[in-house]
Amino acid sequence: MDDRIRLLIVDDEVQFLDSIAERLELRGLAVVKATRGLEALEIAREQKFDLALLDLRMPGMDGHEVLKLLKEEHEFLEVIMLTGHGSLESAVECTKLGAFGYLPKPYELDDLLQVLKDAYEARLRKKFEQDQERIGKITDMALGSSPLAILRAMRELDDDRR
Amino acid sequence: MVFSTGTGEASPALFDINKKRHHRQLMRRTFLHLLSLYFLPLLLLTVYFHIQTLNLREEGRQGHLQSMAEYQAHMLDLFIRERVINLTNLINSPELEIPPTQGSMRSCLDDLHRASETFVDLEIFNARGDQVAYAGPFPVREQRNYSNERWFEVLSTGEQEFVITDIYLGFRQRPHFTMAVRSGVDGDSVVLRATLEPDRMYDFITSTVGAKDLHTSIVNRDGVYQVVTPNVGSPLAESSLVPPETPSLGVEHVEIDDRAVVYGYAWLMEAGWALITQDRPQESDGREFLEDFKIAIVALPVFVIIFLVTYFRAKNIVRIEEERDQTKLQLVHSAKLASVGELAGGIAHEINNPLAIISEEAGLMGDLINPEFGDGRITLEDMVPRLERIQKAVFRCRDITRKLLGFVRQTEYRLAEHDLTKLLDQVVDDFFLHEMGLSNIEVSRHYDPDLPLLITDANQLEQVCVNLLNNAADAIEGPGRIDIGVIRRENAVRIAIRDSGSGMNEEQMQRIFTPFFTTKETGKGTGLGLSVSSGIVEGLGGVIEVESESGSGSTFTIVLPL
Repeated sequence: MDDRIRLLIVDDEVQFLDSIAERLELRGLAVVKATRGLEALEIAREQKFDLALLDLRMPGMDGHEVLKLLKEEHEFLEVIMLTGHGSLESAVECTKLGAFGYLPKPYELDDLLQVLKDAYEARLRKKFEQDQERIGKITDMALGSSPLAILRAMRELDDDRR
Repeated sequence: MVFSTGTGEASPALFDINKKRHHRQLMRRTFLHLLSLYFLPLLLLTVYFHIQTLNLREEGRQGHLQSMAEYQAHMLDLFIRERVINLTNLINSPELEIPPTQGSMRSCLDDLHRASETFVDLEIFNARGDQVAYAGPFPVREQRNYSNERWFEVLSTGEQEFVITDIYLGFRQRPHFTMAVRSGVDGDSVVLRATLEPDRMYDFITSTVGAKDLHTSIVNRDGVYQVVTPNVGSPLAESSLVPPETPSLGVEHVEIDDRAVVYGYAWLMEAGWALITQDRPQESDGREFLEDFKIAIVALPVFVIIFLVTYFRAKNIVRIEEERDQTKLQLVHSAKLASVGELAGGIAHEINNPLAIISEEAGLMGDLINPEFGDGRITLEDMVPRLERIQKAVFRCRDITRKLLGFVRQTEYRLAEHDLTKLLDQVVDDFFLHEMGLSNIEVSRHYDPDLPLLITDANQLEQVCVNLLNNAADAIEGPGRIDIGVIRRENAVRIAIRDSGSGMNEEQMQRIFTPFFTTKETGKGTGLGLSVSSGIVEGLGGVIEVESESGSGSTFTIVLPL
């Protein structure tokens, strides 16, 4: 099984998309490209991603909307916004909608990698917190139940489907 | 509408004056509209009811005239009938000897007098029409034969039981009328005739109830006054009022000497006379005035209330309008700021995207030759398309900056003392006079004679003036005029350029200072002239004010502080 970090990149600038994808591939990430918001949503429904890079200004479905839908559909997917526009208002709005970070173009690759790292960490923490919460809940609920029942409930938690 | 560039509080005075004028106008118009809305129906209703009341009053008056005429005619009929009965009783009385003696005649007349004082004298005729006896105040004249007289013929043929003549003067030269009755048969018959004084009869009629307010007169069938008030006419004169024979009573309208006259009439049953009633013309009726006064007392507060309500309502409406204008102004201002922000954002996006491409391509090439990532399979040929992409992205950026350069060309100011009129003259003479002459535009200059020298950047100010004059000329189609005025007001110099062109609507005015906005046709304007100009003027510490009305030209005023 491929154990690389799975990254979805959405941008309407094809040249940019190609080169950034190739650079990240070289650095050992599994990258999938999409040039439109709708396309990205469809791809995300078929495959699982850990992280997503999303351009704010795109023809068709706007980055805000794609972000909103991605976050609704995938609980632990962390989305980082990319934009050439770079205004404070749009950054605030994206954060409200659940974006992990906001990176203005052009950026230095190290900065991007740093953000990706932070985002992945956040994803893991979130997952971990939720797992702990669930474990606590299951043990509370299952007080007095058979160990097998608890084992099964816990197994259900520990899936990779998320 | 007035707008000015820059910070919004740039020209509060001018703005306020115009707004105030507008609001005053609005106030007046709203007030009048509301007033007519409230008053007009009320006024119409008042007029309607007034007319109704007048009609009713008139109808009542006419009814009164008619009923009075009828009543008085009836009284007169009764009076005449009584007199006829007096005579009939007398002729049939055994006291009357035939032929009568003077003494018995005297006592007969006295009897009649007791019955009514209208009787003046008494005559008796035989069947042949000879007067056989007389009693009365007049001396006995020589015997006359009356057999050919109309009244006598009527009586002797038995057509009527009695005869009443119209009033005549006779040889006594006093108006009187006679009444005759007959008794006995054919050859033996006797005719009794009495003369009556109409004045007494008139007094009798006019003494009836309600007669005092009216003029009462009597006319015969030929329209000759029989009895009449001296104010109206004289007895035996032609009356202008000739009532119709049928119906036997009614109200008539006639015009006499351009004056509308209304009268009531009723024909008598016993004589060929009609009784006529007219309103006595009344001098200043106090009662009517009192009525009007009462109505005024009620109406005045109502009108005052309506007036006040209307006034406050209009004021309220104008206040709301004022507040709305205030917010609109603020909105305009923030919209302008937003558009600047939008522009900056747009530029940033346009430049940052190719920059990101450059960065990624360069980075990738670096990666490919980096032994850490590359495995030696990179060739120089592989680099070519990547280098081309980088160049393309660079040119994209260059295009954008080139566009922008036009927009923010001027950045430095070279200040010196300049004579504004000379500067303007130079601009107009060098750039415009010839061209304007060709397109039939009259240019007139009005300069304040004692303008001080102005510390400014001549080149930049020239550019602004050229821009504004260009716009003015472009706004004019066909012949027109441009006025250039320079005045000093308070601590500022105002350069006003007014054109007789097409003007702008409010929406256009709100946007003219926005970069890339133009009202000119595509290709003719860049949409940068005014934004550049306003930038320059602001840099010189001034503002550009605009006044425009769609269809009647625009005025752009450069206000520069001294």
